Amino acid sequence: MSLVPTILTALVVTATTIAPASAHHVGAYVPKDNAVTTNFKQVKFSVQASKFDVALRLFEAGPLRAEMRAHAATLPAGLEDGTRAALTAGDGPEVERRLMIFFAALVRDLALEADHQLARPDSTAETRVDTGRKFLEAIWRYYNLVDFAVATRDNKASVAVRLAFDEAETYVKPATGGAAPADPAGLRKPLQRIAQVLSTLIDASSTTPRRNS
Amino acid sequence: MTEADSPTWRVPPRWVLLVAVLSIVAAEVGGGSMARFKVELTRWARDGMLARPAVHGLVGVRDVDERILDEALFKFDAGLRLFHMHAEGMGLVIIATSMVAATVIPSGAARRTIIALLTTGGAGYPVGYLVWSALIPSFGLERAKTIAEWLVWVPFGSATIVALWWLAGLLAWAMISRRRARPAA
Repeated sequence: MSLVPTILTALVVTATTIAPASAHHVGAYVPKDNAVTTNFKQVKFSVQASKFDVALRLFEAGPLRAEMRAHAATLPAGLEDGTRAALTAGDGPEVERRLMIFFAALVRDLALEADHQLARPDSTAETRVDTGRKFLEAIWRYYNLVDFAVATRDNKASVAVRLAFDEAETYVKPATGGAAPADPAGLRKPLQRIAQVLSTLIDASSTTPRRNS
Repeated sequence: MTEADSPTWRVPPRWVLLVAVLSIVAAEVGGGSMARFKVELTRWARDGMLARPAVHGLVGVRDVDERILDEALFKFDAGLRLFHMHAEGMGLVIIATSMVAATVIPSGAARRTIIALLTTGGAGYPVGYLVWSALIPSFGLERAKTIAEWLVWVPFGSATIVALWWLAGLLAWAMISRRRARPAA
């Protein structure tokens, strides 16, 4: 019995020793949806539930429409009006097609801007990798939302974008097993391919009002 | 069981208790301020980050920068929360461990050193989270973390770890000596 307080004390001391040793934990960040992707999901789920009045209200007042207006110069003409008309008419596939075009255009613009920034001669290899990684994250966040819609309309485009994205990722991932890091200049080609494939998709989809499958 | 085998708990020096209580008070004030000035603090951090785009790797495209700023603000807030939690917890750890040291270590020099290390280490370590948060807008996530690590976490954390292992070693030694000294039944 005389050892009990000592043992307890030793346990307390050992337990408190573990805490500082495993410290410096500074929180794990999980990327959240931004306002545009949140609004997209709201509209999409409302359309899937055939609640077109709700979807229209969410679209009218949400950041998705504001973003469409902000990017009007690089979007196919009448995309916003057409989306609203489709929502009013309760035409789900048409709403999906127009939103797919919108996000494809956002991704294309991001890929073009990334390519433009990576072409700067003054940036270091480390900066290029960092910039490329950030752009790829943003690209995937948007493209991921419409990949299914793209695949159902143009499977080849979907595969091409995915392959280009996978290739681009190899340039921004840290080298493993002592291998030399990939030259970040190679990142430009898959980005250009993403932009080109999506430009073609946008042009083809903008002239085709209905899915052809 | 004899009186000598069961020592009575001794209160650590007053300055130690004062530091521990002040650490807990700082934690409470910090927690309260975080809630009260959340908007102001976030605005200050965001403005600081926008003023140094190169430090944070901002590329000038909202769709990309938004996520970078969001992560930095999340970590800024996490630093404040972790300061609150650690200052509160380490205050109690200082009281508990220094009381153990004051009670069981017979040597005056060793006792004083261990208590001093436990107190400074325990009170200083949580400040690292505050330093980290405060430096994020100016130095970016990783650089701010490195500065806080070498300036605060490593020295103060090491002081606590060394003192706790030292204390554990002395306790183990005392237990072994006592067992050896006891006559076989």
